[in-house]
Amino acid sequence: MTSPSGPLPPVPRVSGRILDAQLHLMDRQVLDHDGVPVTTVDDLEVGGPDLDVEIPAGTAPPAITALLTGAVLGTRIFGGRPPSSRLIRIPWKDVAEVGVVVRLGVSGEPLDASWVERWVRDKIIARIPGGRHDPR
Amino acid sequence: MILGDLLGTPVHDADGGRLGRVADARFVLDGAPHQLMAEPRLLGLVVSPHSVASFLGYERNGLTRPWLLARILRWRHRGSFLVLWEDISMVGPHSVRLRPGYTRYSTALEGGGQV
Repeated sequence: MTSPSGPLPPVPRVSGRILDAQLHLMDRQVLDHDGVPVTTVDDLEVGGPDLDVEIPAGTAPPAITALLTGAVLGTRIFGGRPPSSRLIRIPWKDVAEVGVVVRLGVSGEPLDASWVERWVRDKIIARIPGGRHDPR
Repeated sequence: MILGDLLGTPVHDADGGRLGRVADARFVLDGAPHQLMAEPRLLGLVVSPHSVASFLGYERNGLTRPWLLARILRWRHRGSFLVLWEDISMVGPHSVRLRPGYTRYSTALEGGGQV
């Protein structure tokens, strides 16, 4: 290995844009293609590698397959994470831009990530007199 | 694999020596192209011997203000390095093992890492 003393060499140049998961993706707000907030990025799903299995030299690197979101407030406070099956996935192919916020190229309305908002709108707000039209 | 499970995992060299913990995962947008964005493939892992929690990435960008905060945060992440995917030999739930002769790279981001 290289000596830990002295300045470290820079990373070999790569052709694509660099994204550090914690710095550029995690906890960013997610907006749909109309700029409507959908959720935040709570975690990321990566397509590999298999755990506790030796990685053969030359294996293609794993890639991000989905943004994960869900009810993570409790686990943020007390530790751990919700079971994988309880996390909602937004496929990476729906991501259009990563900046200060993560923008999707699709509408947020049909996504599972916004089901709470839809449920509150349809079951509670809509039953309040005047709740079915825009405020004037 | 869920990335959050990997963050904070201890990193060991091929001889079992402890090097630090996974502080972050670096991706590069040059994977399989999709209609909107290319797939981000794993470039490597940022390993920090002292602290796993990064605050605003001071140790990876050129920010020097406020001076005292920048100094403290850089000091907390002293000895951090990036190890490329090619140098990772095994990823487990409790440990990441590197290949013999792995290379430590600087964690600095080009252009200050701003998005």
